[in-house]
Amino acid sequence: MPEQVDDRSVFTLEEVARSIQKTLSDRYSSSFWVKAEMNKLNYYKHSGHCYPDLVEKKEGKIIAQLRANLWREDYRRIDHKFLTVLQEPLKDGIKILFQAKITFDAVHGLALWIVDIDPGYTLGDLEKEKQDTLKRLKNENIYQQNKLLRLPLLPQRIAIISVETSKGYADFLEVISQNPWGYRFFHVLFPALLQGDRAAADIAAQLERIKKVTNHFDVVAIIRGGGGDVGLSCYNNYTLAKTICTFPIPVITGIGHATNETVAEMVSFSNAITPTKLAEYLIQLFHDFAVPLREAERKIADRAKRILSEEKAKFQSEVKLFRSVTENVILTNRNEIKGLWQSVRQHAQFTFKQEKESLRSARQDLLRAATVRTALSRQELKTHTGVLLKDTGFQLKRHKGTLSDCQGRLQQHTALLVKQAHSELNNMAKNVTNMSPANVLRRGYSITRLNGKAVKEAAPVREGDELTTILFKGRIESVVTAINQDTDHE
Amino acid sequence: MNEPINYTRAFEELQTIVTEIEQGAITVDELSEKVKRAAQLITICKSKLTTTEEDVNSILKELDAAGGEVSG
Repeated sequence: MPEQVDDRSVFTLEEVARSIQKTLSDRYSSSFWVKAEMNKLNYYKHSGHCYPDLVEKKEGKIIAQLRANLWREDYRRIDHKFLTVLQEPLKDGIKILFQAKITFDAVHGLALWIVDIDPGYTLGDLEKEKQDTLKRLKNENIYQQNKLLRLPLLPQRIAIISVETSKGYADFLEVISQNPWGYRFFHVLFPALLQGDRAAADIAAQLERIKKVTNHFDVVAIIRGGGGDVGLSCYNNYTLAKTICTFPIPVITGIGHATNETVAEMVSFSNAITPTKLAEYLIQLFHDFAVPLREAERKIADRAKRILSEEKAKFQSEVKLFRSVTENVILTNRNEIKGLWQSVRQHAQFTFKQEKESLRSARQDLLRAATVRTALSRQELKTHTGVLLKDTGFQLKRHKGTLSDCQGRLQQHTALLVKQAHSELNNMAKNVTNMSPANVLRRGYSITRLNGKAVKEAAPVREGDELTTILFKGRIESVVTAINQDTDHE
Repeated sequence: MNEPINYTRAFEELQTIVTEIEQGAITVDELSEKVKRAAQLITICKSKLTTTEEDVNSILKELDAAGGEVSG
């Protein structure tokens, strides 16, 4: 009851709260179904109760927000139901359809008391998120992008996104590290949370790190296992899926659960149901390389041997053929030669005989002819000798007469010629005596000399030159005073 | 021929030689050369199966240099 203070009714806070509580409980007597987004679950471990934070958003903005209570027993029941139906626990950030009553507590205020939650609605919502992600990736035309990359023949260098202590990681390493064929892998762990609300962002962040060193890796493997089949809705996250789609090298997944494939698995280059299977997939790729290699080794060796043995057989048969052909040819030729030799011998003998015969007859002819000829020639010779002897005596006599006649005439002529020559010689001697310089000088001629040389003309003589004049008896030295070039012989 | 050959190319070249030899396209004159080459290629491919040259430390260093936090 309100207290009257100066004409005013004044209520206590408890009275107000009780009034609101009464009004609300009168107005909202029964429970009803509400849909909202559970922004935060706000689970308190100690008490086991949850105080979910419920919101409704419109175009990203909160247009309604209410606090709720989810008591321990209800929470356990509902969470179990979620795990069964969704393989997801009750968690932050999901849309829920719940049955609630409005409660008002004098201390804690207004709250929705959640009695039940329909997991089917949330499932639909999660499925819707998955479908939305797929649709966006396909619209952006990147859904296939990672699948279309080329994995190296030997994806040997692996960037692993996993949790170091997880069973999946251990399984994976066991297969690739301890394979009995000695295949060698190189791997680096990039640790990330693999399930729950933070997993998507965590994995995407590690992918971004790996992107900086992709040149050192052939493939990225996202490995999860041993964590049960819950908390996988993060793999439907659009951002994570897009990072995988557009990753520059192939991303392979071994997330390890048997229910519906998540988007991350669908868009990855290759997906295996478990980490072990994923490791076996890589081993198989190595087999795909190693087996043809062994085959190649065997085939090349076999074929090479076969080629060689075939060539050898061919060669031997050629040799055999060659030998048989040559032997045949030699035999034929030998027979031919033998035949020819015989025929040549026969011919030769025949020819010799014939020639000998004709030679003998020729010799007889020759002898006969020679005998006749010799007799004839002897006769002729005798005749000629007689004539010659007669002729020679006569000729000799005649030539002797001519010879003595010529001798007499020769002597007569010679004496005459000698006499003539004698008188001619005497005349010549007289002339020569007259012409000697002494006789010439004696007749009044003189020799004039200039510098020892006889002067025959006036031209080279100059006034003042000293001349020597040689006379028959004595000499005169004179100096030239005048020169006359005229010639004046008598 | 002395430059290191990529194992993928080695594998392809080896397959070519196998095909050639299977189809009888290799004469006895080329045989020795081809077999020698095939042996080289097989050695390259086999060694690739069982060895790697990557070094974790150098990758971590590179990540550091790129500004990522290292927790590998």
